[in-house]
Amino acid sequence: MRFARSSAPRPAKTRASVATTQENPLLEGLQIRRTPDPCILVIFGASGDLTKRKIFPALYSLAYRHLLPERFAVVGIARTEETDDDFRERMKEAVQQFGRDEFRDDVWDGLADGIRYLAADFSDAKGLDHLVDVVNELDDERETGGNRVYYLAIPPSAFETVVDSMGKRRKSEGWRRLIVEKPFGHDLESARHLNGVIEKYFDEHEVFRIDHYLGKETVQNMLALRFANGIFEPIWNRQFVDHVQITVAESMGIEGRAAYYEQAGAIRDIFQNHLLQLLAITAMEPPIDFTADSVRNEKVKVLRAMHTPGPKSVVRGQYGLGYVEGEEVLGYREEEGVDPQSMTETYVAAKLYVDNWRWADTPFYVRMGKRLPRRETTIAIEFKRAPHPPFEELAAEGLRPNVLLVNVQPDEGVSLAIGAKVPGQGMTIRTVHMDFLYGGAFRTGLPEAYERLILDAMLGDATLFTRIDEVLEQWSLVDAIVAAWVRDRPGFPNYPAGTWGPPSADELLKRDGRSWRRH
Amino acid sequence: MTSIRDIERELSSLRTEPGAETPYQRTSVMTHTAWVPPEWVEAAEDVLSLLAERHPSRTVVLFPQPDEEEGIEGDVEVDVYPVGEGRAICTETIRVRLKGKRASAPASVVQSLLLPDLPAFLRWRGLPPFGAPEFEGLIDVVDRLVVDSTEWPDLPESYRGLTEIFDRVAVSDIAWARTSRWRPMLASLWPNIAGVQRIRVQGTAAQAHLLAGWLRSRLKHAVELEHDPSDRLVGVEIDGEPAPFPPGDPPSGADVLSEELDTFGRDRIYEDAVRAALP
Repeated sequence: MRFARSSAPRPAKTRASVATTQENPLLEGLQIRRTPDPCILVIFGASGDLTKRKIFPALYSLAYRHLLPERFAVVGIARTEETDDDFRERMKEAVQQFGRDEFRDDVWDGLADGIRYLAADFSDAKGLDHLVDVVNELDDERETGGNRVYYLAIPPSAFETVVDSMGKRRKSEGWRRLIVEKPFGHDLESARHLNGVIEKYFDEHEVFRIDHYLGKETVQNMLALRFANGIFEPIWNRQFVDHVQITVAESMGIEGRAAYYEQAGAIRDIFQNHLLQLLAITAMEPPIDFTADSVRNEKVKVLRAMHTPGPKSVVRGQYGLGYVEGEEVLGYREEEGVDPQSMTETYVAAKLYVDNWRWADTPFYVRMGKRLPRRETTIAIEFKRAPHPPFEELAAEGLRPNVLLVNVQPDEGVSLAIGAKVPGQGMTIRTVHMDFLYGGAFRTGLPEAYERLILDAMLGDATLFTRIDEVLEQWSLVDAIVAAWVRDRPGFPNYPAGTWGPPSADELLKRDGRSWRRH
Repeated sequence: MTSIRDIERELSSLRTEPGAETPYQRTSVMTHTAWVPPEWVEAAEDVLSLLAERHPSRTVVLFPQPDEEEGIEGDVEVDVYPVGEGRAICTETIRVRLKGKRASAPASVVQSLLLPDLPAFLRWRGLPPFGAPEFEGLIDVVDRLVVDSTEWPDLPESYRGLTEIFDRVAVSDIAWARTSRWRPMLASLWPNIAGVQRIRVQGTAAQAHLLAGWLRSRLKHAVELEHDPSDRLVGVEIDGEPAPFPPGDPPSGADVLSEELDTFGRDRIYEDAVRAALP
């Protein structure tokens, strides 16, 4: 009798779940980490920054933890002329520079053994035929069963050609998954068009649209905070919540991406995707389970329930010369590659409403921008004040409303502002913070968003990816806001770099008797 | 002589940096109690120092010294770890020497030091004295007992006492955890492994008996065990055929204990394996 492995044991449900089976009693109780089926990952745009900074460091971390399939290969394709060895060497340096784990030669060698590189133009049919040949050869060599993950780490303008070419060359053997980076389109019409191209060759369940914020542990922790704790959900509604503030602040400028940013602006770069996803996760109803469709069904309901804000409820800004972290920085119009008369917004603030039973009349104030004083992504739930504090007015004058603050980055964690008595005679109340620091309680390094997302795509789990109906709802809202902007020309620049945006953003809340959170 | 109140007071003062207005933030996910007889002190300290940073907790280390003059002596330590920019968290270690008769009533000390509403784990070094008051008292105040039956003499007979406490406290066994890479590998040999009659295990006695017990209890038939002693699990033969070596590296002692501290419920498969390991 020979004891070769018949097949990898399979869990019955999800990752790290308890596997049960009638046939094999030895599987009972085993905690088996799900690893993907054997496959080949084809990266289009392999010479770009994303491949170097995110994709390969993530692949290395997955290999380091034995989370990649045993039979696995990566094919990088880009226009840059490079040999397999040159590409491997560059990616090795990238892993050493940007990886979160210690560099181990044995781990890298295992991964590098299956790496190939192909220099080709995406629009060149011969080049793509050659790609198919290389991938097929690799498939035979590494026994990956025809399974492919195509990763489009390329500008949106090149999506169509690649999808069309790969779609036409699709074979029936094995499964196919397509990972698409944001932005998915430029507006509603282009997103629909792009989706039309994709759906000619790929079913929706084969498409994984990345919004890397959803891969962040702290964003997922928002779901745990809301749905694993009985104390929050009963007060997570218009009766107890005064308003919500969501901030996505970046201290950096456009970092040489003028060509992209001039077309996108803050509303397409951040608002359309990250910000609306954060809002949807904050406002969604509890899903019936944690499957991809249940979660996404609830998110899309929130997006559908949002009405278009009027012009007075949206503020846009553009940074001028200023100081960030003590350093003098250029204004947006002075950045290389930017039109000196550019009307592209680098800041957006808005008052949004989710018109449903839970949130009617509860404002969601959102703001996002570049060259703000610091990098910070937060969701702040500000609760209504206590109806009748039985203290003298002076005693409680330092008391602010309760705020539940979710720090998405940095200092990942949750903080609750509560009123507490100042020790000593008499009754003086002051606001204090109870902090839960994510990194304080769980001392294992947080996985990078891309590790989780690439692994999930290989496993076919789309929970943390945006579905097409979400994307279309997001664009629909953005298009309506942008349409109103055609009619006015604000005096840009209207905020100095290193400040929290234009004064009109403060006015937006002041009109409602509120203010942005103090920093 | 130390009182519990002294310990609490000292901890409170250590949590504030000299000259600072606000104390370090204490972060705890559990109370981790360790019973460390003299012969285990060095090994226990090594593992505990690696654990503190991974599982921020209040760690209560109990050193029984029954031959000393009666009393309690304690010292406390606050370890500070940076978290994010300019912020730090602290964890607490309380070392208590239980002298004379106090060594037989440790539960009364531990109960007053447990962090409320958080799980309490008890790591018992060596073979627990099943039925003795110090052990019986402690397992009634904790949620989970963590042992390493590799440290036990007279296996498999020593497992008998363990089977009698399964209904009182959830049990983790590091020896069992160290077989966790091998069990999926053996399971993957299904269906060929279904009729196995004899296994030969090159590893510790605990690992050998537990793997044999696991196969007997899951397959529901007798499986003869041949044990080839080794200080770690390096090979398994099924009816004379070597099983493939599982992938990955064996985890460190701290890694194994760390994983056990993330486990809360009863492990019925382990309990069945222990029962089936008994002669």
